[in-house]
Amino acid sequence: MADIDVGLMRGTLDLLILKALTWGPRHGYGVVDWIEQATGAALLVGEGTLYPALHRLEAQGWIEAEWGLSENNRHAKFYKLTATGRAQLRTGLSAWQQFVEAASRALHTSASPRPA
Amino acid sequence: MSDRGAWTRVFRIGVGAKHLERDVDQELDFHIAMRTQKLLATGLPPDAARAKALERFGDLRTVRDSCLDIDHQRERAMRRTNYLSNLRQDITYALRTMRQNAGFTAVVLLTLALGIGANTSTFTLIDALVLRSLPVPHPEQLVTIGNPARVGGLSEGTPRNDIASYPLYADVRAQSKLLAGVYASGRSNRLDMLADEKQKEPEHPRGRYVSANYFSVLQVPAALGRTFSPEEDRAIGGAPVLVISYGYWLTRFAGDRSVVGRSVLVNGVPLTIIGVAPRSFPSDIVGQRTDVWIPIMEQHALMPNSPALTDRSVSWILMMGRLAPGVTLAQARAEVTAIENRSLVENAKPAERASIEKDVREKPLRVESGARGFSYYRHLLAGPLFILMAAVSVVLLIVCANLANLMLARASARGREMSVRMALGANRARLVQQLLTESVLLSVVGGALGVLLALWGSSALIALTGGAQVDARLDGRVLFFTAALSLATAVLFGLVPALRATRVELAAALRAQGRGVSNAERGTGRFGLGKMLVVAQVALSVLLLVGTGMLVRSMQRLQATDIGVARDQLLMVEVDAERAGYKDARLLTLMRALVTRANQTPGVVATSLSENGIFSGTESATNVRVEGFTAQSDEDSSIAYDDVGPAYFRTIGARLVQGRVLEDRDNVSGAKVAVLNQTAARFFFPRGNSLGAHISSDSLTYEIIGVVSDIEEQNLRAEPTRRVYIPASQIPATPGRFSLEVRTSGDPARLGESLRRSLATVDPALSLRAQPLTELVQESIAQDKLVARVVSVFGILALALAALGLYGVMTYATTRRTSEFGLRMALGAEPGNVLRLVLGEAMLLVAGGVMVGMPAALGAMQLVKHQLYEIGLLDWPSILVALLVLGASAALAGYVPARRAARVGPLVALRDA
Repeated sequence: MADIDVGLMRGTLDLLILKALTWGPRHGYGVVDWIEQATGAALLVGEGTLYPALHRLEAQGWIEAEWGLSENNRHAKFYKLTATGRAQLRTGLSAWQQFVEAASRALHTSASPRPA
Repeated sequence: MSDRGAWTRVFRIGVGAKHLERDVDQELDFHIAMRTQKLLATGLPPDAARAKALERFGDLRTVRDSCLDIDHQRERAMRRTNYLSNLRQDITYALRTMRQNAGFTAVVLLTLALGIGANTSTFTLIDALVLRSLPVPHPEQLVTIGNPARVGGLSEGTPRNDIASYPLYADVRAQSKLLAGVYASGRSNRLDMLADEKQKEPEHPRGRYVSANYFSVLQVPAALGRTFSPEEDRAIGGAPVLVISYGYWLTRFAGDRSVVGRSVLVNGVPLTIIGVAPRSFPSDIVGQRTDVWIPIMEQHALMPNSPALTDRSVSWILMMGRLAPGVTLAQARAEVTAIENRSLVENAKPAERASIEKDVREKPLRVESGARGFSYYRHLLAGPLFILMAAVSVVLLIVCANLANLMLARASARGREMSVRMALGANRARLVQQLLTESVLLSVVGGALGVLLALWGSSALIALTGGAQVDARLDGRVLFFTAALSLATAVLFGLVPALRATRVELAAALRAQGRGVSNAERGTGRFGLGKMLVVAQVALSVLLLVGTGMLVRSMQRLQATDIGVARDQLLMVEVDAERAGYKDARLLTLMRALVTRANQTPGVVATSLSENGIFSGTESATNVRVEGFTAQSDEDSSIAYDDVGPAYFRTIGARLVQGRVLEDRDNVSGAKVAVLNQTAARFFFPRGNSLGAHISSDSLTYEIIGVVSDIEEQNLRAEPTRRVYIPASQIPATPGRFSLEVRTSGDPARLGESLRRSLATVDPALSLRAQPLTELVQESIAQDKLVARVVSVFGILALALAALGLYGVMTYATTRRTSEFGLRMALGAEPGNVLRLVLGEAMLLVAGGVMVGMPAALGAMQLVKHQLYEIGLLDWPSILVALLVLGASAALAGYVPARRAARVGPLVALRDA
């Protein structure tokens, strides 16, 4: 299966980012850190791919950014969830659930299709 | 992972794209640094840790670029929404302020409407007469050949190039290779047209004789029927057709489509209407109406006694050509000039050759862009219109100064509001923008009202031009002009007050508790902005008032000019006996009969006649040899002449200087005699011995029997020219078109119609037109009157505005100083002292304005010098009157507030303080 790329789809990454921010503001590195820990380092191919997604979500108004000081006293850009973002996360999660269940059912089934 | 305690807000204000890049770089740097630190902790050496961190990150450059792309888009969108919401907010705010101060708003709008309306009206005329192109395809390809102002020109004698003879036009048309086509257009005398059998009295459409390629060169198709075909240029008399204009079709034929094909009688010749020109094309002559176009080949048939198609000595044609593709104006000019010069010289009569050669050398042929068509009125009115434009611009500047002052006063009243808002963190640019929005809104509405005013104003101006048919409409150019003007006005009167209003010293303003701000901020200090604006207004008014005075006096001088005749009770009757076929002996009999009949008419004192009349627009000149005088050049022997009837000088009231005037005995059988005017006598006979000397023209010799004082015959401004008078019965071919001069006992205007009717009984076929001489003279200075009148109106407007400004500023200043006056009076000052104090300050402002305005006025008058008649540049009467009027209005404007200040009771003033 190594040849098939089942890497992060855009919507999935967005959902992960929103989820990462549910516990409060984080900077980009913090989000990456959370995703790696939560998924067992399985999903992120390049850490950089996260950033355009963050900026896009900011432009959509789902998250907002503010500059602040990090735990080691450096300037860092912190992102936090907006009310819209929170709502998006809720609807996104249930959509994801349906999608995964459907895809999973299909991928694991053993019955062959009936002849047309 | 961030913890709450480390969460510190840092304010950043980013400007432009730079901060976006910086932010992205900083954000990504932070990520790499964090990762490197984590890897270092696992025991990797620093270099390897950083390399590993970068590798895990992926393509840094791509990530950076996509982040920046997203951020830029976001920033643009934000700026747009921000701007729109600010604008909406500002407009709402401005509208509310305007509603709350309805009186103020009304005054401002009215002033703006006047200022902008005056400018738009004037510009509308300039646009129509001077700027607009002919409504034909590719007007930029058109070139005029000759002097485009001489649309009514007719000159007999030595051929010339400012207007051309028909054979000269034919040469240009045949030989030019650089012009894709060139047409001829010539004046027509009054046309008598009968459009149907029932019509008894002929009507007189305005016509032009044009070559048959007229419409094809202009590329104007017929709206109805057809235009001329090349057939109609082939042979003299071979084109009995005409094309009528759209306007004439509507007014005369009520838009009847069956008019095409109808036969009408023009000067007794049946012509068929073959087409109607389109509505979009009124004429190629700007400022004049054209009703009918007649093929030039019909000129002989319609004017049998002055055939002008074969005669090289009759110049009456203006030409318009269309450049062939790729040809420049300069190339066409060179070619056409060469053709004309060659033709003029080759065809010159031996006697005229030298003077023609000199002429073509010294007065090169005018070949110019024809995009704007021919126009007499453009030539006549362009100068006055630009003077007017300058005057109305000055009025608008005064309006701006006035409004700036009003806004300033308002801004200082709002000083506290501004300081509070700024203390609360509003930024200054934002407040300025808000105040400017109000100015722009005011000027846009004022400009719109101004446009409405201009609709009326431009037609009023056209009416004053006396006779110009100007298609004054608000086209794109005019509207653009007005819009630009309104915005410029808004900035001019709004920006400085807005800047002033927001430049408050916070602490001082807040402390002053509603008292507003310091004197300097309020604009009422010793050199406050408000006072400077008043000085500027006074200066501009001085400019306009002095200018008005000089123009009015120049016009009065013109009107009062001695024209050498007693003009008041003189009626001029233009007679055309040529068309009725009078010639030679029959003509002389007719002349005598007309004079007799006129003399029998009640109210007539005396009657005489002359070929050219006075202020009739026609003039004759010839070359003469004078006994005892040696001509140094061709010019020296030229002289204007008129052939006149018996009793001519007595009838017109000319003054005899020497010898005797013409009498009855100087008739066809008497000795040939002549009378010189004073200029001619002085020129030819410097020693004063003209009587008895002989003067000859062609083959005839006349004895000089008298000298009369100079008579101004055409133009009040012109220097008198040399002139000789000869009995009409003693010249070779007495012309059939002449003027009767009739002296009346009462008002000549009242007698005109009855005299015309009584003369018509001699022969109803005669064409007669009577007009008092005073009217003809007034018509000749119509443009001077126009300029003087209109500039006067604006001068008065300017004065009123400046006085209003002064009044406003003085009232404001004195109210602010009420407590000071109270104190002064409490300490023993008399009301008179306070009155003098305040009036003195007002007068100081006026004096300042005069000092600035006076040199400006003199400089400006230098520019319009050519419009002035016998007025020196330092015209003391005008200056004194201007200063007196200004001083009086200023005194009045200052007196009202001064008296109010002087009346303040000391106690009241101190208590209110």
